[in-house]
Amino acid sequence: MAAEHAAAAHDPNIGCTGLDHRKMGMWAFLGSECMFFGSLIGTYLSYKGKSINGPGPHEILNIPLTSVSAFVLLMSSLLMVLALAAVQRNDMKWGKIWLFMTALFGAGFVGFQCYEFTHFVHQGLTLQTNLFGSTFFVLTGFHGAHVTGGVIWLLALWVLALRGRLGAPDSLKVEICGLYWHFVDIVWIAIFALIYLIP
Amino acid sequence: MDSSHAAAAPAHDGGHATVQTYIRVAVVLAIITAIEIGAVYVPGLPSHALVTVIIISGILKFALVVAFFMHLRYDSKLLTVLFVGPLIIATAIILAIMALFGAYLLLARA
Repeated sequence: MAAEHAAAAHDPNIGCTGLDHRKMGMWAFLGSECMFFGSLIGTYLSYKGKSINGPGPHEILNIPLTSVSAFVLLMSSLLMVLALAAVQRNDMKWGKIWLFMTALFGAGFVGFQCYEFTHFVHQGLTLQTNLFGSTFFVLTGFHGAHVTGGVIWLLALWVLALRGRLGAPDSLKVEICGLYWHFVDIVWIAIFALIYLIP
Repeated sequence: MDSSHAAAAPAHDGGHATVQTYIRVAVVLAIITAIEIGAVYVPGLPSHALVTVIIISGILKFALVVAFFMHLRYDSKLLTVLFVGPLIIATAIILAIMALFGAYLLLARA
């Protein structure tokens, strides 16, 4: 406890809890995001099967394609922790590689989603078509926007690393970005299971 | 470079998993995902069994990512409270909305 107080006296980012404010802030933000996505998922499930006209989920959802994109996002979480581990041990060569690869996998996931959305629109499913279209596009669209934000964040860290402005002392920046990135991954775990896989 | 981070990191980190642990967790996640997707294509699997497999797989994957990749297993309990509290509220929101609208996962709708 004395050590925590000593650290707090020297570092304005450490509060009386002994935790970094930025990290606590990110966890509190992720908690609020849980409720945000919880509301969207709840709305989707409540309206499931209540559309008057088609197309419905069984006619349009492509499980093999989405399984690949879900796997890509899941593996990007591994790349993210590898990036964090590399930055923490000040191995910036691999830190840069893993950060870029994480962003690339994230961009790949967004690409899959863009293809899926375009395909659905060509099949006649839009935001206005029916309850399924409205709830599906709002839920997955917000998730895709979060992933896009994460990719931009990762690329910003990668550029900092390329310029030599990211190292082991800044590993908290990568850790906080990683928390956000893993969160978008766990939201997709829930969306993939509840929306795509459950009949 | 902000040197304050160097002091910040050891103050709250209770030690993180090793790279080997991360890779093991990723392999387990891949296996669970394969089981989850494979269950969808098992012919004749009853709907309630399929839903159970998918939900348990999803919860396992969720817990593994949060515990190991997000380091919640190694971090302060306060962070767990900050995240799990709203998560419980979110789950309650989903169940409440579904109950209000009469939508159920396992039971056939009237």
